Amino acid sequence: MKTVLNKRFELTGNEFFRLLGVSLFGKFVPIGNLWGGPGLRCLAVLTLLHYVGFPGYWIKAKYGHRLQFIKGIINKTRR
Amino acid sequence: MSLDTYYSLETLVSAGKMKSAATEVISFDLFDTLLVRRIHDPDLVKLPVARYIEQLAANKGLRVNWHTVQRLRDTIERRQRAATGEKFADHEACYPLFMEELLKELFAERYNAELLASVTSYELAMENSMLVPRTVLIDWIKELSLAGKRIFVISDMYLPAKSLKELVQFAGFLEYVEDVISSADTFLAKASGKAYPMIAEKYGISTNSWLHVGDNLFSDGLRAEEAGLQALLIHDPKEDQRKSLVKRFCNYSDGKPFWRGRALQQLMAPLESENSPQSALYSEGYNFLGPLIGVFVQQIAKRCAKNKITKIFFLSREGWTFKKYWEGAMPYLYPDGNLPEIEYLYVSRMALAGAACAHQGLTKTNADIAFLPPGNRDFRDVCRIFSLDANTFSEQLSEHDIDADTCLSPIHDGYLPENRMKFEAMLEYDSFQQEVKAQTNDMNRAMQLYLEEAGMFDHENVAIVDIGWLGTIQRFLFEAIAHRDDCPHCFGYLFGATRGIPYPNSEKNHVEGIIYDRAFFDLAGSTLLYAQDIFEEACRAPYPTLNGYRLVEGGYELEFRTTEDTIGKAECEQDRCFEPLQRGILDSAPRFGAASALLGYSFGDYKAWMNYLLVSKLAFPRAKEVKSIRNQHHLDDFHGQKKPKADFKKNMIALWDHSQLQLRFNPFLRARKFFGHLRNRINE
Repeated sequence: MKTVLNKRFELTGNEFFRLLGVSLFGKFVPIGNLWGGPGLRCLAVLTLLHYVGFPGYWIKAKYGHRLQFIKGIINKTRR
Repeated sequence: MSLDTYYSLETLVSAGKMKSAATEVISFDLFDTLLVRRIHDPDLVKLPVARYIEQLAANKGLRVNWHTVQRLRDTIERRQRAATGEKFADHEACYPLFMEELLKELFAERYNAELLASVTSYELAMENSMLVPRTVLIDWIKELSLAGKRIFVISDMYLPAKSLKELVQFAGFLEYVEDVISSADTFLAKASGKAYPMIAEKYGISTNSWLHVGDNLFSDGLRAEEAGLQALLIHDPKEDQRKSLVKRFCNYSDGKPFWRGRALQQLMAPLESENSPQSALYSEGYNFLGPLIGVFVQQIAKRCAKNKITKIFFLSREGWTFKKYWEGAMPYLYPDGNLPEIEYLYVSRMALAGAACAHQGLTKTNADIAFLPPGNRDFRDVCRIFSLDANTFSEQLSEHDIDADTCLSPIHDGYLPENRMKFEAMLEYDSFQQEVKAQTNDMNRAMQLYLEEAGMFDHENVAIVDIGWLGTIQRFLFEAIAHRDDCPHCFGYLFGATRGIPYPNSEKNHVEGIIYDRAFFDLAGSTLLYAQDIFEEACRAPYPTLNGYRLVEGGYELEFRTTEDTIGKAECEQDRCFEPLQRGILDSAPRFGAASALLGYSFGDYKAWMNYLLVSKLAFPRAKEVKSIRNQHHLDDFHGQKKPKADFKKNMIALWDHSQLQLRFNPFLRARKFFGHLRNRINE
């Protein structure tokens, strides 16, 4: 017995690692029209969010106000 | 000033329980506290409403784009907020006022109060579909209510309290709440803190004995404490993570169409108490088959509008699930109700095969169809399928030097091509065809009576919806009624069209595969061929198949197959086994409708994700998935009981028919099968 949406907010039976596997296979063998596929960056960001998103958001919720300086550093780096 | 902030509902409730012991009144914020949204941005609910207004305008002969509607709504709402800001500390808006102004501006003299009521009703339905009550907090509210505490729900929202009460009622806790208060009614909001003294005065509450629970640091925290209340704040990082994911799925969908279907599924997903542990089959129904059927019925609705179809016939038995899915999803996608009538039609290949011969006789193509299943071997099988009495044809058979048991199928032992040619020559004979017509005439008349009652001949264009695969049911159905002057144009929509025998497409009768059509090269869609039976079994109605139509005094009668024999009992067992799968499919229907209406995407947008789903689930299934989804019994009365040659289908074992051992431990099995499948599709 499992929930339809798991604790990492993935769809049961269609987890992100499965998507990664099929996408990788699709890079070498034609598997059908996926309209450009998922894209590496999107896959990376979403996989991170699914698997390690919670600790990140927990830190942000609890200490976010003290960690504003990190946001400043990121913005400076982006510029 | 220190604010009590909690990072999980459990810690919040346990702290709240201690504090509430000394308080008389407990108030809750509504949105993002008691109710969470499936979407990251509440404004997204406004988009389907704008599309609905566009539809309503079109129905009244007005041409207005939904983007324009949305822009105008934003402008009017902004204007109203600015006007409120001149008189009050808060810049609040009131939905009935700005929506009325918007509709009056769009519809001018065609505006009426009914219009506002239907738009409001749809907006509330969409809001409802996107809101989920938080079980832990609702349980606490029930406890507080039982303890005799006064409970209020306070929200800064453009919807008035009357509408919010409907949302609370739908969430199931209105009976525990003394009142629901909205800033839209008084323009005094929590944001400025003006709402708190107003509520204290109106309901005679002492602020010293008042605990407020919410999620907003300013409105629910600082302003509440400034007003003398105790405040508890919830900041749930789990919710942040979920919304962040939804936001990314939605945003990525703009640039990468692949994610559109995934965004749809994320919005469809059950949350909180809806997301209770279920069997693996339920999840497969909800996460795999449900969305596929959803995009199928959504595309049918679009085709119906394009082809001016006024009635849809869902063919038994798979049409049972399609019809139920349609009924669950369409109210969200087509709120104006501008849809064709729908009807479930009791048909089957066996029931229609005989009826199809009453006017045209037994054609060579139909005889070829009879020999497609490997269990059919001779003339007796043909007679079984077309409801003919084999003994009455002994004279014609002997005239052509064959008998009822002569092998006519090349995959059986004893087959001689000249015997098949003799059989086909017999089909040309008038005496043979006259006998066929005579024997099938009553069945055809009974079938026509049934179709007349179902309204088949009252429409110019009808849709015939079935699972697939060759379109044989529609072929027989059309052949049985083609002689009538009032025969409608039949637009056939199949879940998958495998087209083993070319379909006789004509102006009045044609079929089209929606999820897969062999007429077009679609590699991902063709993975349906891996496990067609599963789709049939998953969608099949839980009652026996139709054997035929019988003329009775004053009408007709439907003859259903018995469930008392071994095959019938096996089918009942399969129904019981697939019950959670079907429940999962049907539970997903309203959520599919709401999510798809919110995203505003159509079949083409979802196809890339559906292609991925098909490939990953059918061509690369996990061993345990095959074990749980693989059907144990599959009834096919069309299929005879004769055994083909021993070497037939040797080395042709389908992936889904392999043993668990091979599926688990043969690492290249799936890839090898996929390459074989790829080769077959290219060589077609």
